Amino acid sequence: MSQTIFERYGGFSSVSKIVMSFYEKILASPVTNPFFANSDMKTLIDHQTKFIASMMGGPASYTNDHLERVHARLGITEAAFIEAVEMFEETLEDFDMQDDDIEQVLDEVMSRKNFIVSKS
Amino acid sequence: MVEADLSESGYTPDRDTLRQLTQSLGVGIALVKLEGWEVVFENANFFKWFPPNSDADDPLTARLVGFREDRAISRIQKGRIYGFETETETGGRSAPISVELRSLSDESPDLVVIECRDISKQKQAEYMLESYSKISEKNARELEREKERAEKLLLNIMPKSVYEEMKDYGTVTPQLFTEATILLLDFVGHTEKDISRDPGALVTELNDIFNVFDRITGMFDCERIRTVGDSYMAVSGLPDATPDHAHNIAKVALRMLRYIERRNSAHLESWHCRIGINSGPVVGSLVGVQKYVYDIFGPGVNLASRMETISEPMKITLNEDTYQLIKDDFECTERGEFEIKGFGELNLYFLERELPHI
Repeated sequence: MSQTIFERYGGFSSVSKIVMSFYEKILASPVTNPFFANSDMKTLIDHQTKFIASMMGGPASYTNDHLERVHARLGITEAAFIEAVEMFEETLEDFDMQDDDIEQVLDEVMSRKNFIVSKS
Repeated sequence: MVEADLSESGYTPDRDTLRQLTQSLGVGIALVKLEGWEVVFENANFFKWFPPNSDADDPLTARLVGFREDRAISRIQKGRIYGFETETETGGRSAPISVELRSLSDESPDLVVIECRDISKQKQAEYMLESYSKISEKNARELEREKERAEKLLLNIMPKSVYEEMKDYGTVTPQLFTEATILLLDFVGHTEKDISRDPGALVTELNDIFNVFDRITGMFDCERIRTVGDSYMAVSGLPDATPDHAHNIAKVALRMLRYIERRNSAHLESWHCRIGINSGPVVGSLVGVQKYVYDIFGPGVNLASRMETISEPMKITLNEDTYQLIKDDFECTERGEFEIKGFGELNLYFLERELPHI
């Protein structure tokens, strides 16, 4: 049985660190932080932990339906999405994930772009 | 950032006070040139945590372990923060330090501010979380394995679709299968004396034989329903209907006989079986609550049992119903009419062999 990325990088304890680090980055960036102005930190961390864990093949299931619902009224722009993806890539880099694993996780995220970016 | 206007209170700190303030901060801060990473200013904590090795002019890169120059440059030039974690010796123990680099301001993009914090407390919380999540992940894995094991055991006593139904609804509705063929096999010639002489060895042999039978039934999409003592019952046509139910069972029966013949020629102990086959409707259902077993019922099952009883050692007996279904593909010999209790006069056949495909 081949291990998922989630398992290979140390399971939930690693994901939690990635989430914290990514969370800091998107709140610090002037491009992405306006979208989090009114969000509750607890809910946000909860969503991101589940989302990132599922992108890495972990036990959490995060459906596209769910993804679309939570982003629907936020009016996420293409630019903000790209910025967030870049920062996510940097976060994974900082955790010394291998390039092909990073690519795989990013592919998972990119394939869900339509559920995150608002339709104009 | 908000700059406090202290002038109203009539106090303006002078340069020395500001310097002292910077030096006394609990964080480590430094100002570095992006070009060549030359340290132009550092406070006491920064110097304490990351002292220059030998030369006081050591650039930053030589002082910070784990610092990735390429990442730092690319992030800072994009106006982002570059952060990483490192360790330092302080007070005789090593302490985790988080380091963040960013450009001082838009006006002076070639000057980089470095801010370092002791994150021992955060690390403790992380280790605690890590230890706890390892425990729960291990438990989750064990639970998953246990579930798979239980599932495998249940699949041994009932067909998969029946198991799925039970898992989803908690019960299984008895179901009528109009087109099915039942096989019953029993061993003959083993007297009570044989069994009492060496029961262990006999059961072991029987176990070997039934394992092979299970593989044969599996190969032709038949289900083993149950074994009772040295009798073996298999069925085709349920839980998934198939037009080939009679053919499947005929193939299984012939292969069972062939296996026993081959086994007898290689072993001291000879086994002889009788096989009976009947085609007809059966009801399949899970029986029992705590100790459940999947079983089949109906006159079709009884008749299959009669076919087995009336069969002969190392022979397969079937009646008109099955014969009509398979006669084009299998060679059978007529046995004539027999009076079967509860079923009247029936025309019986021996199943001999499968005809080669033309």
